[in-house]
Amino acid sequence: MVHDTSARSIPPASEASTATRRGFLKTAGVAASATIASPYVITSKALGDATTPPASDRIVMGGIGIGNMGSGDQNAFLGRADVQYVAVCDVRKKWRDDGKGRVDGKYANTDCAAYVDFRELLARDDIDAVHIATPDHWHAIMTIAACRAGKDVYLQKPETLTLREGPLMVAAARRYGRVVSGGSQRVLEDYKEIVNPCWAGELGTIKSVDVSVGGPSQPCYLPAQETPTDIDWDLWLGPAPWEPYNSGRCDGNYGTGGNSWRSYIDYSGGSLTDWGAHHFGGTIFATDLRELQPLNVTYHPASSDGKEAAYVSVAYPNGVELHHNRPQQLRPKDPLVGGRGAIQIFGDGQRRAAKPVPVYKGTGGIYGDFIECVKTRERPFRDIELAVNTMSGPHMIGIAYRLQRSLNWDVAAQQFTGDEEANRLCDRARREPWIL
Amino acid sequence: MAYDPASLDKPFEILKAFDWGGDASAFQPIDAAVVAAHADPAARADLEKRLATLLGAGTSRAAKEYVCRKLSLIGTAASVPSLAALLPEKDHSHMARFALERINAAEATEALRKALGTVLGDLKIGMISSLAGRGDAASVPAIAALLSGESKTAVAAADALGRIHTPEACQALAAAGGITDKAAGSAIADARLACAESLLRQGKRAEAKAIYTSLSESAAAGTTPTAKATRLAAARGILACLDTTTTS
Repeated sequence: MVHDTSARSIPPASEASTATRRGFLKTAGVAASATIASPYVITSKALGDATTPPASDRIVMGGIGIGNMGSGDQNAFLGRADVQYVAVCDVRKKWRDDGKGRVDGKYANTDCAAYVDFRELLARDDIDAVHIATPDHWHAIMTIAACRAGKDVYLQKPETLTLREGPLMVAAARRYGRVVSGGSQRVLEDYKEIVNPCWAGELGTIKSVDVSVGGPSQPCYLPAQETPTDIDWDLWLGPAPWEPYNSGRCDGNYGTGGNSWRSYIDYSGGSLTDWGAHHFGGTIFATDLRELQPLNVTYHPASSDGKEAAYVSVAYPNGVELHHNRPQQLRPKDPLVGGRGAIQIFGDGQRRAAKPVPVYKGTGGIYGDFIECVKTRERPFRDIELAVNTMSGPHMIGIAYRLQRSLNWDVAAQQFTGDEEANRLCDRARREPWIL
Repeated sequence: MAYDPASLDKPFEILKAFDWGGDASAFQPIDAAVVAAHADPAARADLEKRLATLLGAGTSRAAKEYVCRKLSLIGTAASVPSLAALLPEKDHSHMARFALERINAAEATEALRKALGTVLGDLKIGMISSLAGRGDAASVPAIAALLSGESKTAVAAADALGRIHTPEACQALAAAGGITDKAAGSAIADARLACAESLLRQGKRAEAKAIYTSLSESAAAGTTPTAKATRLAAARGILACLDTTTTS
């Protein structure tokens, strides 16, 4: 549950209006045909064919942050017949050129526009939706700006970098009636061996889950390197503190060992929120916690003999506990009734009634789910509010590790109770001229 | 472990000249002391004083940045003067705000307000951002006065007033209807939507509807994506005002 009630005071698009994109275009088309009498040439591509919908039914898209994961997202959308991909944006020339090349290659033309500054892409009137796969420190600002520009958003995980960002992003999505989908394709697709038995009731009432994934991000002290000419370094940093260019600071590879932005606190929550978005996301979906946020965060110090490392647990209002990296020897011996490598689920084993597993809409996995919702104005599988709730746990765990103590979270107030320092870590000042 | 200030003498000395690429492990004892100081007010005060001292001349940019990060966690009114002195400096203004925005003391707010009236350009936007982050209602008149100024600053001012969304902030936004700068106009519209949502949450449907209606009318002729988005948002808001099941 997200506390900012401005996010809830406006009904979702599907409630506020039953009008769909197709319906609107159909109506608009009738009105237009009555007034346009001049000759009008329509290409065969615009009309569509057996495999390609007509232009009026295609979602016009652009991508922001088009490197590593962004290129994967781009390919997924570019491969869809119901998407017309028209623009890419990246602060690195190489990613920009590569991204444009993929689009132009697909359509056999040179029409794809390429931007350095995302605000120029968002200012285009013809773009319906964007996908965003920048480093995490940009997610909130770009998502909110996209909503204000009337775009729907597919946003790579982890959707938030701080706890405060979440409610603001949800508020923007609801305010403008936008479809904003988080982007963890693994939650439903890769964790079936825990999702299905949980929802089928086979494990009984879930008591606790152990999630094994790396820890939080670290400060970055990498040395200055000469800034390459093909990157707009100031724009890459954006709202993050100014620090000198270093390729290890800004590389988008998936490691968190110090040679990628995912390692560092100004740009990421580290493995805890990066892979954690998948592992915790899968766990939280499997155990049906997506509409909740933790109430208690317990820091367990390392044992004095050094044999057991520190670990952190979060407890949800329904009593379910998630443990991050709890040492194996401290886990219950029985009954372990579900598991998948990095995730071990402990239920009471008393079979309960099955519930239908929520699934994607449309076809084509989480990308198809997003596109279908853009068309129908329904909430997507990983609606931004569910994503914000999901990521709240890993963020709180990271704060507990930093402070090395236990915390209590007031969901309604969206703040920690009785711990001013913890509340200071709920957000951070953004570098001028960026404002959230 | 009891706080041992002497054990930090060498780390602080190393920190003073630290540059990116240096051996950060040398001052990790400071990190540990900052975390441990939570339960030791005297240690916290001593640490804060030693950290704030490093914000003066003769300390590297990287070291100042480190200090600001630590003060953002344990800083109090005592370190505000040292941080405030950095607010007009281009290279340090953001990190000074990084600490000040989090320090729960009236002195920190006052320092940001004072700087708002003196710094220029992007640094002024930074002050607006931090005052909004603190939800400082008392800065509304000063921020509202910037709505009619340079475009980027006016946008930031509108964003800030929307975040603060007190009645005074909402009135200032409503009074800014004549502003012709498109970017500022869009930001003002977004901020007024936030005001309307706040009113709706309080059950003040008529007042909220008046804002939505006003926005719907003023955006009626707009052709930009943001104008269209505002129209849609205003229409949704009007529907929400009519929906008696929508409550706070």
